[in-house]
Amino acid sequence: MAETMLELKNVEAGYGEFRVLHGINLRVDKGEIVALVGPNGAGKTTTLRTILRMTTLYNGEIRFKGKDIRHLPTHKIVEEGVTMVPEGRGIFNPLTVYENLVAGAYTKKAQEKMDDTLEFVFSLFPRLKERRNQIAGTLSGGEAQMLAIARAIMSRPEVLMFDEPSLGLAPKIVLEVFDTVVKLRDEANMTILIVEQHVKNSLEIADRAYVMEMGQIVLEGEGKALLNDERLKKAYLII
Amino acid sequence: MGWGEWISESKRYIIGTLVLGGLLALVPFAINFDMYYLLILSTALLYGVYVVAWNIIGGYAGQLDLAAFAYIGLGGIVAAELFTIYGVTPWVGMFVGAGVAMILAAAIGYPTFRFGIKDVWYALMSAALVVILNNIFHLPELLGSLDHYLPSKYGWMYLRFPTYENLYWFVTVTLVVAMLINLKISHSKTGYYLRAIREDELAAEALGIDVRKYKLLALMMYAGILGFMGYVSIVIQGTYSYHTFDSPNSITIAIMGIIGGLGSIAGAFTSAVTLKIIGEYLRSTLGASIPGIHLLIYGLLLIIVGIFKPDGLAGVWVSLKKKFVKKNVRGEKK
Ligand SMILES: Nc1ncnc2c1ncn2[C@@H]1O[C@H](COP(=O)(O)OP(=O)(O)O)[C@@H](O)[C@H]1O
Ligand SMILES: [Mg+2]
Repeated sequence: MAETMLELKNVEAGYGEFRVLHGINLRVDKGEIVALVGPNGAGKTTTLRTILRMTTLYNGEIRFKGKDIRHLPTHKIVEEGVTMVPEGRGIFNPLTVYENLVAGAYTKKAQEKMDDTLEFVFSLFPRLKERRNQIAGTLSGGEAQMLAIARAIMSRPEVLMFDEPSLGLAPKIVLEVFDTVVKLRDEANMTILIVEQHVKNSLEIADRAYVMEMGQIVLEGEGKALLNDERLKKAYLII
Repeated sequence: MGWGEWISESKRYIIGTLVLGGLLALVPFAINFDMYYLLILSTALLYGVYVVAWNIIGGYAGQLDLAAFAYIGLGGIVAAELFTIYGVTPWVGMFVGAGVAMILAAAIGYPTFRFGIKDVWYALMSAALVVILNNIFHLPELLGSLDHYLPSKYGWMYLRFPTYENLYWFVTVTLVVAMLINLKISHSKTGYYLRAIREDELAAEALGIDVRKYKLLALMMYAGILGFMGYVSIVIQGTYSYHTFDSPNSITIAIMGIIGGLGSIAGAFTSAVTLKIIGEYLRSTLGASIPGIHLLIYGLLLIIVGIFKPDGLAGVWVSLKKKFVKKNVRGEKK
């Protein structure tokens, strides 16, 4: 059986007094692509942020490779091997493409391997290499998303979390993004937790998936199986 | 732009800064060592140092710090008291002052950043710091209500002179050093991290950047430079007292930094020096009839910048350059 990379047990979290997650149970095994889908405001982003210790945690357990990471600050969790490509990309606009990538390689381990990682992300996204000295604020939406992904890879994560990477992108670029996600799993040995609005696309590439509503997991199963689930079909109008 | 070109670019900036320093050093000859102008220019360049230092916390780290004179005052008073009471040369005292200012910055910054205080709350807290120190040093056990004078010793040993040119040159040198420190930061990983934090703190955090550590580092570098220059401020003022913890001028420094353009070293310098000269001029001509006129002008400028050019003077420069370069290209095509 594959090693469990991420495990959330009965996680209750939110922002200050405002509770968003009401007992989340979720598991991501090594080499998996796990999708987390659900309507707007369900708490998907909050779940990813909670894993990185960027919310208020009231209750529950969060483990990375079996280790309790509840009491680590965010930068230590990234050092352990979990990184997020944030919602809305979070590109550092005034910095160049190259400077964005350097900023992503923050941890000591990442800095040591920076040249190799750079080569890898440039092979993955040749367009970024061409634009390495361009100010990131001037990139197109698709390029900016590539940069956000590349920048997260710079930290050499074992688990990479995506928060709606296809948001606001043209359909063709959306497919590229999903291809990249699969590539990262297959070629870079990464384990992936992806939050998506494109339910159909993400369930197609996902090994397993969780459906979330109002801060709770309401459905879980294999990606392809969920794709045929009547309840899900109805809720998301998957044809 | 590869590595080679980067080196040449940063070299260009270094050379530019040194040339600027050289030109500034020649100014006393051009104005015939006029004491009055030298005093104004020394003050203006001193503000140049302050605002260039502010650029680290305000421009790179994006924290609206309003506490400049907390660090200037503390560093300066430490150096001045060491000199007055214990006869310690200011050359040592200024470094001690810088160190004390950095300790204060750490004591303030650690909990502030730990509890995620930012934006207006950070601004208010930093503004309060100046007021608090002002009140503490007003206590009879500390400085009381009196003006304190430095011992009447003169010479390089004490950085005090009967005329102003030597002090002016000293400030010029520290300005060049402060600009080079900024340059070094902006082209280093620390600079990328700080600008990343300013642009999108959540994203920076999610990438594993130790946001708190870098904000604290920026605050301490800023406080260190200000603490070091505090003694010079006192020398120019002539005396020190609890008034040295000066709230309006702390805000002035932030205003100058914003007008100059966040993160721009040349903008910080230009804005500080020109605004201070204009301010001093207005104060000496209209100050008696309209007190605070210079503050009014700064405020108006700030509004204008806010409306038309949020990138400040640096932004104006960039758009002028673009226009100029475009014209050039068109010219070539002809
Ligand atoms: N920074 C925040 N502070 C307070 N409440 C928030 C914050 N971010 C999100 N929320 C609230 O948490 C709930 C879940 O949001 P989110 O996790 O962003 O949902 P999703 O990503 O599934 O669309 C929403 O009700 C939202 O208003
Ligand atoms: Mg979301």
